[in-house]
Amino acid sequence: METIPQNEEPAPKPTERLAYSIQEAADMLGVNYFSVYRLIQRNKLKPCRALRGKLLVPRSELLKLLGTE
Amino acid sequence: MNYYQRPTEQEEQAAAETNAAFAEHLNQFKANCDALHHIENNLSTTATDALKAALLTPGRVVQTDDGAEWQHDLDLTSLTSVCHRRTAAGLEFAVVECLPLKCGEHKDVLNSGHDVREVLQVFTRDQRQVLSLWKEDVKAQVKEHLEDKYPRQDMGIVVESFEIKMAHAISETRALTQSQNRGVRI
Repeated sequence: METIPQNEEPAPKPTERLAYSIQEAADMLGVNYFSVYRLIQRNKLKPCRALRGKLLVPRSELLKLLGTE
Repeated sequence: MNYYQRPTEQEEQAAAETNAAFAEHLNQFKANCDALHHIENNLSTTATDALKAALLTPGRVVQTDDGAEWQHDLDLTSLTSVCHRRTAAGLEFAVVECLPLKCGEHKDVLNSGHDVREVLQVFTRDQRQVLSLWKEDVKAQVKEHLEDKYPRQDMGIVVESFEIKMAHAISETRALTQSQNRGVRI
C-alpha cells in the first residue's frame, strides 16, 4: 500500500526579537561590552530604552552594523 | 530605609546575587578603567612617543573604512592606536579603532587633530563618557534585576552599593591621575 506523504509544514520560525541587551549585542557582534557602549556613544548604534531605563539595541541596528540588512 | 543601619540578611543575599549576576560587567568595567588610567597617567610620554614615531619611523599603513590612509605610530589599547598622516597643514594625528566584528574588522577614526596631546586628551575624555554611559546603564539593569527578583521590596541599598563599586573604579582612576599630574600641564 502506498503511503500518502503528509503535508509537512515548515517548523515555525523562532520569534525574532526586536531588541537585545548590551550583553547580547556584544555576543552577536563579537566584541566586549565597552565596544558596544562606545558604538552607542559614537552614534554608530542607536539604542532604545526599556521601560525601566536600561539600554537595548534594536535588531535593525545590529543588522545594519553587521552589513546583513 | 535607613541606609546607616546594618543591611538585612535579605539585602546581603540580594547583594551577593547581584555581584554574581553582574560580575562580568564589573570585571570588564574595572579593566577598562585601569586601561584609561594608564593612558591618562602616561599622556605626556605617549604624546612624545607618538610624535617621535611619526617623525622618525615609517609605520605600517592603516586604511580606515572611509578609505583614508594613516601610518601606525603606537598602540594605545588592544583595539586603539595612534596614527598619523601628512597633510598640507602638517602632521595630522588620529586615534584609530580596529574593531574585530564578527562580520569583519571595522577601522574607524575616533578623533583626529594636528596636536597629538589634544588628540589624546579628547580620546580620554570620550572614554570617560563611555564609562559613564556604561555605569548608568548597569545601574538601570541592576535595579530591574532586583525589582524582578524581589518585587515590592526596597533594595535601594543594594543598587547603591553596586553603583558605589563602579563609581569607585572610575574615581580611583581620576584620583590617581590628578595626584600624579599635579603641577604638570598635560
